[in-house]
Amino acid sequence: MAKDRTPQIDYAAPLRRLLVALLVLVLFAVFLLWRIDSPRVERIRAEITDRVVPSFSWVSAPVTGLAHIVADFRSYQRIYDQNQELKRELQQMKAWKEAALQLEQENARLLDLNKVRLDPKFTHITGVVMADSGSPFRQSVLLNVGARDGVKDGWATMDGIGLVGRISGVGRETSRVILLTDTSSRVPIVIQPSGQRAILAGTNTARPLIELIDDPSSIRPGDRVFSSGDGSVFPAGILVGEVTQSTDRRLRVRLAADYERLEFLRVIRARQIEVIEDPGTLIAPVPETIAQDLPDG
Amino acid sequence: MGSAGAAYIWSMRGAFAGLAVFVLLLQLLPLETQPRRWVAPDILLALALVWTMRRPDIVPVALIALVFLLADFLLQRPPGLFAGLVVVATEIARARHDDIRETLFLFEWLTAAALIIAVFVAYLIILAIVSPIPISAGLLLLQAVLTIVAYPLVVGLSQSIFGIRIAAPGEVDEKGRRL
Repeated sequence: MAKDRTPQIDYAAPLRRLLVALLVLVLFAVFLLWRIDSPRVERIRAEITDRVVPSFSWVSAPVTGLAHIVADFRSYQRIYDQNQELKRELQQMKAWKEAALQLEQENARLLDLNKVRLDPKFTHITGVVMADSGSPFRQSVLLNVGARDGVKDGWATMDGIGLVGRISGVGRETSRVILLTDTSSRVPIVIQPSGQRAILAGTNTARPLIELIDDPSSIRPGDRVFSSGDGSVFPAGILVGEVTQSTDRRLRVRLAADYERLEFLRVIRARQIEVIEDPGTLIAPVPETIAQDLPDG
Repeated sequence: MGSAGAAYIWSMRGAFAGLAVFVLLLQLLPLETQPRRWVAPDILLALALVWTMRRPDIVPVALIALVFLLADFLLQRPPGLFAGLVVVATEIARARHDDIRETLFLFEWLTAAALIIAVFVAYLIILAIVSPIPISAGLLLLQAVLTIVAYPLVVGLSQSIFGIRIAAPGEVDEKGRRL
């Protein structure tokens, strides 16, 4: 330590103390800056993540692969049970398939009758999960697509089946997805068949909570939950999961997406939703040439 | 003792930085995307305390600040807060360097435990006041306890793999200064 460097008169120790105090001040100033101007610092965070994490991939890819092989191997041990289970499910699915085919035909007929035009299919970009949040307090993953691929903040992401989260923080080559299970995640949902609208709030557990329900008595466990598109946060109609009731009798959602293994995620390009704010602009503006010709007053 | 040469110190600094990046990398691996009921100990904090308390000459304060600021950014923590607290804690640990080489390991462990608890409690309190994002206090305190439990393990690994042991009284560096 500096203080032991006797016998010469020691200038280093007080100077060092000053520098350390300065360093601590700078660090706390960064924190204060984050509190005041969070978006800017979060952009810096995305930038740093963008620089650092892709350079990890040469290590992380084989390690992750190995871990998956181990997990797969464990699942082989249960293969007989799984086989039985799958056969049972297949039987059920055949019945469902029949029902679905009939419904599809009926739906097509009805749409044809009504001349309904559906939304254009959502286009998507598929990304690979590179890293998770690394902290037990935050639930997010990092994708290997970013601003380079046209990803924007706020877009929805899903795996093949259900909603996973939304983009929050885009770097050049990476983007962060805040999962529905994160404590800061709030997503507007609609519960079918009752059609009630609510908010899905992440609680850092596997089952997010349904909040702000009008009439909880009309919702039953097993009801299906979709994104509602309220507040233009998300495109409407993406499957989220199904309602369950936890032991404390609160309504939660069992997510449809396979959170056990998030590997490939689809980032849904949000379409620009046209918002009609002013009824006046619905009428086409008067062409200028005509406006000039009109007599004053 | 040749081990205190400048080349040795710089290589050990490199080793510390490499080790820190390795620990961060392990935490970032996307193995577990489900929310967890448990937490892993904060190995990085334990590592920083072990190394500063045992060999303060190897880990300069700037390196600590840099590593933990990077960790804050990568691990989605509010940047700067945890890093600042850790710098204060390691400075206190650094000042204890002279005491611990004359006492039992238990004393060192207790010092580290007090510092770890202090860092986590301060972090929790400041976040509760300032941050808009709620944080699970129970999980954080569990992490503090696990970090304390992991401390002797980190000491053992640092000693056996990297040779980080307490300099004996009277040991000097190449300029004849006491370590």
